[in-house]
Amino acid sequence: MKAVFLLQWRRFYRKPLLVLAMFGLTVIFVSVTAAGEQSGPQLIPVYADGSMSELQAQTWLERLNSEEQFQFELMPESEARSYVAEGDVSQAVNLLEADYRLLVGREDPARFALDSFLRRIYSEEMRLENAEQTTPGIRAEMESALSGPALTLSVESLQGADDSFQYNGQLQLLFGMTLFFVIYTIMFSLVRIVDEKRAGTWSRMIISPVRKWQVYLGHLGYSFLIGFSQITLIFLLFRFAFGFELGDRFWLLVAIAACYTFSIVALGLLIISLITKPQQLGAVIPIVATGMAMVGGAFWPIELVTNEILLAVSKVLPITYGLQALTSVAVYGNGLQAVAIPLLLLLGFGSICMAIAIRLMEWRSAS
Amino acid sequence: MLETEQLTKKFKDTIAVDDVSLVLRQGESVGLLGPNGAGKSTAIAMISTLMKPSSGDVRLNGESVLKKPGDMRRVLGVVPQKIALYEELSAYENLKFFGRLYGLSGKKLEQRIDYVVELVGLADRKKELVKNYSGGMQRRINLAAAMMHEPEVLIMDEPTVGIDPQSRNHLLETIRKLNREEGMTVLYTSHYMEEVEKLCDRVYIMDHGKVIAEGTKEELKAILSDQETVLIDFDQNYPELFAKLSEIEGVQHAAAEEHSLKLIIPKGTRLLAALFHEAERYGAQVVNVNVQTPTLEDVFLRLTGRKLRD
Repeated sequence: MKAVFLLQWRRFYRKPLLVLAMFGLTVIFVSVTAAGEQSGPQLIPVYADGSMSELQAQTWLERLNSEEQFQFELMPESEARSYVAEGDVSQAVNLLEADYRLLVGREDPARFALDSFLRRIYSEEMRLENAEQTTPGIRAEMESALSGPALTLSVESLQGADDSFQYNGQLQLLFGMTLFFVIYTIMFSLVRIVDEKRAGTWSRMIISPVRKWQVYLGHLGYSFLIGFSQITLIFLLFRFAFGFELGDRFWLLVAIAACYTFSIVALGLLIISLITKPQQLGAVIPIVATGMAMVGGAFWPIELVTNEILLAVSKVLPITYGLQALTSVAVYGNGLQAVAIPLLLLLGFGSICMAIAIRLMEWRSAS
Repeated sequence: MLETEQLTKKFKDTIAVDDVSLVLRQGESVGLLGPNGAGKSTAIAMISTLMKPSSGDVRLNGESVLKKPGDMRRVLGVVPQKIALYEELSAYENLKFFGRLYGLSGKKLEQRIDYVVELVGLADRKKELVKNYSGGMQRRINLAAAMMHEPEVLIMDEPTVGIDPQSRNHLLETIRKLNREEGMTVLYTSHYMEEVEKLCDRVYIMDHGKVIAEGTKEELKAILSDQETVLIDFDQNYPELFAKLSEIEGVQHAAAEEHSLKLIIPKGTRLLAALFHEAERYGAQVVNVNVQTPTLEDVFLRLTGRKLRD
């Protein structure tokens, strides 16, 4: 096993370009894109047109700022437009009496979060206004009931104790892109198994005294280590060189990275057991990586996805659990207990994929 | 030392190897001759424990290797038909890896690398990347990799395919040296009759998955002892004339190749009069007529009705 493992590193030494490219792409993508992000609540300029009085606008502003996710600031329309036009902010909000409009300057993943937030606040407010028309005083009653509840319910979830969604653009980018690009690194490193079978070096190993499981382990060990190193180095780089706030439990992030890497190695092995031609793998791997990243929440937070089918699909993707666990620890400050289930799911997913893949490969080589 | 017992391999509806029994004695050089698709590579894959037979057995010193492949793997060196090397690595790095697979390390590993690169004549170029080698040099390193663990038995699956004559001669000389001077047991498969004739003491001839003949070269040629081979060269290709000549009474087998026609006939057959008569009828010019002693190629032609490279 050691010989096979060391051989992979020697081959990496001779051909390091792919791995370095994936590492470099992650760093460039995150650092360039995250430059426009801020770690605290994002400033959103707000303006009202003539259809709304100053007082109404102030009331809406207070309502919007009652939660800390975004920092809304009321200003004249011309000023808000100027902010957007000059690229100081990605978007501004035009408040209407019973609706809103987004003024978008550039594509920003936070737009989905902002839109989702505004839709929720507006829906709540509209429902409350409708209720007030039939039952006057219901707003005061509701506020009173909320301030002195008869029963207090404690909720614990990956999103923290109050179950409210917190969006951190920098970390969303960092985790999303890191977990996305590492899929390529891992899967393309596993393509070597297919290459070796085609070239005949695999047969040479099989007819040596080294056992077949040792040959697999040498390959999988390398793929795991190269993927795991990539994630860990990127986290270290962004924590210490770029000053990203990754929370107090860096060791737990590393543990999550290890579980995620294991699951992707296993998934990669399953894919190469199903598709045995390197040319086909060259097409399939990007499709799998991009598809998983889109549905699993690497490009935008999964919390913003409302489609039931996509949400159901995301439940069987390792990247979903990897991102959930990383966000839970770094954004919400949770500990091991809170991420135990996603970690177990990652390990379980990996074990099942690996068992199927190895059986499939053996069956193929025997037939 | 090594034997196969009614070795058979079936793939769905195809029988690739059919009831093949071979014997390799210690220090012997045995050829496995047959055209492409005869089942040689499949037989070798089973002997080298790479593939499980559908039925039959492979025995090393009387012990079945199917249950305990480890013993066989330690004593066996296999030179595959493909150049199974890591081309982005140097010859030295490749050999180091294949040596490590067999548990070699440290000084012993380095000594062994030095020995095998010397053996294949690439000692001064061992640090070069394999992808920069010529095809012939890659074939030599392919052999060297199989020699790293000092195997007792060397199995070679068409090791000279697609290489230049100089590298081919070097490779054949190396194999001959390993067998004659170092007593290594060799199983050599090829569809090049002249290589097998040059290297091997005994020959098995395979066709359509079966062994159709076996024996020493002399024993096999004795199959044609009451026959002779007549090679006729013409000024150009005459397909119709060749067909006509193949039907002359007494001709047992005929094979045409470009401007030549090879006929196997019983000794004493009066062929020449008919040959010149037909040649004149077709306006063909006979350039050369040569009566040869039979070769293994002729034996193969006699046994299968086909040429080895058909």
